[in-house]
Amino acid sequence: MMPLVKAVGVEKRFGDFQALRGIDAEVHEGEVVCILGPSGSGKSTFLRCINQLEGIDGGALWVEGQLVGYRRSGNNLHQLSDKEIARQRRSIGMVFQRFNLFEHMSVLDNIIEGPVRVLKGSRAEAVKTAEELLARVGLAGKAGSYPSELSGGQQQRVAIARALAMKPTLMLFDEPTSALDPELVGEVLNVMRSLAETGMTMVVVTHEIGFAREVADRVIFMDGGQVVEEGTPQAVFTSPQHKRTRDFLSAVL
Amino acid sequence: MNAPTSTAELVAEEDLPHLTRVPRRHLGRWASAVVVLAVVVFIIVSFARGNIDWPTVGQYLTDSTILHGLVSTVVMTFLAMFVGITIGVISAVMRLSENPVLRTISLGYVWLFRGIPQLLQLYIWYNLALVFPTFGIPGLAETQTTQLMTPLVASVLGLGLCQGAYTSEVVRAGILSVDPGQIEAGQGIGMTRSLVLRRIILPQAMRVILPPIGNEFISMVKLTSLASAIQFTEILHSAQNIYFVSGKVMELLFVATFWYIVVVSVLSVGQHFIEKRFSRGHGSRRPAAARVQEETA
Repeated sequence: MMPLVKAVGVEKRFGDFQALRGIDAEVHEGEVVCILGPSGSGKSTFLRCINQLEGIDGGALWVEGQLVGYRRSGNNLHQLSDKEIARQRRSIGMVFQRFNLFEHMSVLDNIIEGPVRVLKGSRAEAVKTAEELLARVGLAGKAGSYPSELSGGQQQRVAIARALAMKPTLMLFDEPTSALDPELVGEVLNVMRSLAETGMTMVVVTHEIGFAREVADRVIFMDGGQVVEEGTPQAVFTSPQHKRTRDFLSAVL
Repeated sequence: MNAPTSTAELVAEEDLPHLTRVPRRHLGRWASAVVVLAVVVFIIVSFARGNIDWPTVGQYLTDSTILHGLVSTVVMTFLAMFVGITIGVISAVMRLSENPVLRTISLGYVWLFRGIPQLLQLYIWYNLALVFPTFGIPGLAETQTTQLMTPLVASVLGLGLCQGAYTSEVVRAGILSVDPGQIEAGQGIGMTRSLVLRRIILPQAMRVILPPIGNEFISMVKLTSLASAIQFTEILHSAQNIYFVSGKVMELLFVATFWYIVVVSVLSVGQHFIEKRFSRGHGSRRPAAARVQEETA
């Protein structure tokens, strides 16, 4: 079966700094992959490359078998227009570290914005879906609230609902619990855990080793812009093969 | 802490039920209010007793020439601000675009129109026929520029384009104030750049843009008086037309002043409500302002 996400030799530079040094990775449908690694290892950058919030400087990425960012015409690869990039992003849900809810919109409007404005669906339908999603993330009564009135954990759950409203085939999580107070981490991880149980394909950049151990099908450990080691959580956490993985795990566990 | 000087200042725990708490008295506030009131009364009395024919002021307040000028002033304010805000938003978006051609055009526009004195811009538009005698597509639709450039058109262009250059900078600051994460979130749900701009960036930038725009709106009410220089009959021009005949210069200027203050007051109230509308989702903003007031009081 063709992988949902395929990366071959992905490189990314920020000025003189080489953030990604040739990433090869695959994510299959229904899989939950957690990317771990020290800060500055390039794990968030790689995630952002998947939905083109960062352009790549080398290598190639495929999502759902489609080359990311380019269209083939004969023997040429043409860079996609803004509109075409936006279209590629529709089926990819993104959850950010800092939630990034639209501050000027109510919770309901945040969730229906994509379905109504981007997918051009009916408003009534979108509201119905939004209410179901809010119930699913445990925020049934909060449709009329503004983001500033919610706790961080509640905001992040709304952000997950907003991403799910686009009916994505892939969900990306960029350190979704790193900006939360410790007592609010659990509620967000619970929502993610139940999402994983529905068979959603998920790529999660996280520092939550416990979550990775319990929920991930596969763990990728990155350092210095490279994939150092990957395997089942069991294999990576109990018998890491590389010294860098061992050092990292002994520091965080 | 200063040690109490007598036993009358010592407070023992058992005394507390018998003691009355007296709130802090703001003697300074009362004293300064009295001084300010006295100064205001003095100024009002001075003006009332001065060599000004107040009955004439009252008589001309509702004179038809004055009211016609008043309407022209208000209409010109809105037209010029409409042109200014429209061009300002377009220019700001161009300035922040990735397209170097658009960026340069915007930069050049702001540089030029902020650099030329407003009165001069009005004269240039009014006398555009000196440079372009005819306007339109030669042979098809052509008119004499002098017929097109009425005082109204020249004033709208002169005031509006200059305003646009200033508004452009205000809007640019507003756009830059929006958290980049908001843009990424919009892109994350598959929005195009233009949709992100319309639905996410501009509505949030409004919160930052509106107070200075309101300020410029009020400024424009008074700036329209410059248009009297190119024969546009706004309220100052109307007042001048009357006092050239009657000689009641100060009286007519007070009439104009009265109406300027009325218009500005109405706009200020409107500004308050519009700002409130666009600060939705920012519930913490008011309490913060109130806290500062309390601390400085």
